[in-house]
Amino acid sequence: MNPTEVAHVAKRDSFPMRGRFYRVIRDLHLYVGLLISPFVLVFAVSVFFLVHAWVPKIGAESSTTRVVAGVPLPADLENLSGRPLIDGLKAALKAANVPGEVGFVRRMIKEERLIVPVTVPGRETTVSINISNREATVVTRETGLADALITLHKAPGPHGGDIRMNWFYMKAWRWLADATVYLVLFISVSGVYLWYVLRAERKVGFVLLLAGAVLFFGMTYALQH
Amino acid sequence: MALERWNRKLHFYSGLFLFLFLWLFAASGLLLNHPSWNFDEYWKNRRETNYEREISNPGPEVKGDLAQAHEIMRQTGIGGEILWTTTRTDTNVFDFQVRRPGHYFFIKADFARRVVSVRQADVNVWGVMKVLHTFSGVQLDDPRNRRDWALTSLWAYSMDGVAIGLIFMVLSSFYMWYQLPQKRVFGLIVIGVGSLACGVFCVGLRWFF
Repeated sequence: MNPTEVAHVAKRDSFPMRGRFYRVIRDLHLYVGLLISPFVLVFAVSVFFLVHAWVPKIGAESSTTRVVAGVPLPADLENLSGRPLIDGLKAALKAANVPGEVGFVRRMIKEERLIVPVTVPGRETTVSINISNREATVVTRETGLADALITLHKAPGPHGGDIRMNWFYMKAWRWLADATVYLVLFISVSGVYLWYVLRAERKVGFVLLLAGAVLFFGMTYALQH
Repeated sequence: MALERWNRKLHFYSGLFLFLFLWLFAASGLLLNHPSWNFDEYWKNRRETNYEREISNPGPEVKGDLAQAHEIMRQTGIGGEILWTTTRTDTNVFDFQVRRPGHYFFIKADFARRVVSVRQADVNVWGVMKVLHTFSGVQLDDPRNRRDWALTSLWAYSMDGVAIGLIFMVLSSFYMWYQLPQKRVFGLIVIGVGSLACGVFCVGLRWFF
């Protein structure tokens, strides 16, 4: 610390309540930041994949196919759609040993088939169920770590709100993703407070805050108008 | 010592510089994760206008759908990212979409009548935020879409910049924490808990199921 900061800390410590508040915020900023750092890294690294539509192959990608006979289907299958259909297919997916988040189910009416996409981060499974003979063809594709990060970054996402979060683990991921956002907001505000306390850094900090704001509003204005 | 000092300075300098960008991506991420929330509805609350413009048909030197779309946009004064061009069955008719944060343009060009019909949808600030979160000009599942507007590229690279800034802030915070011996053990526990929870989703679920 430079002399100005030392003087400030000494002054701060002469006000015990203010000093305690500062220390609590500083420790919370540190520990909360450390706690969410792996989540922040997941979101930050996957940005490159999403922004450039580029998925590096980390680990071997493999595909397997198997057939499962006699999968149980709900009696009122043709009347079901959306979330009730997904819930109705849970037993069939369990029998076929395909856990994961179920996506949009496609009905191939002529072929009497249901195409059920199921996702686990890093794995995509397509279950094609022949309704007449209750046979399921399961194609599993291991897509790797980068794809897992992309799946997590986009989950649950804005589309298909009525069918999403049909697997407990993806529901749990949403809670964690939400918590990450709230904690990022907390550490950004607490970070501003911790910076503001350092008088020697105020001027440079204000310039950078202002420069960031000018860039942000300038870019968003240009994009809109 | 200089490394320690500069690491700390750069940690909060980058945080301050990226402050609004972080808030935008954090808040819009939250909105995108909760499609059932109603207060941020933007598409139902959009304002639509329809208009027609006369155009000169693109000459023979303007080849391909993308070039023709650019020419029509130039003549009609519309700027933005071309989302995709539909397959054309009639060479006199050309439909495409243009998007920029806050505005959606659905364009139908009729070369026989030399007229362009535009349906323009303007959305509110929530719609702008959500589009900014995803406005990269490319899609993983559609390789036909390429960035074709300079501002899209600028925004895409700024998203890269924010991501780099975040990664730097995380790494610099690890360094600052490690410089505090009295906080190493508890910090290690906290990082361990976070990594375990995150690791379960990134790699663990594939092992467990």
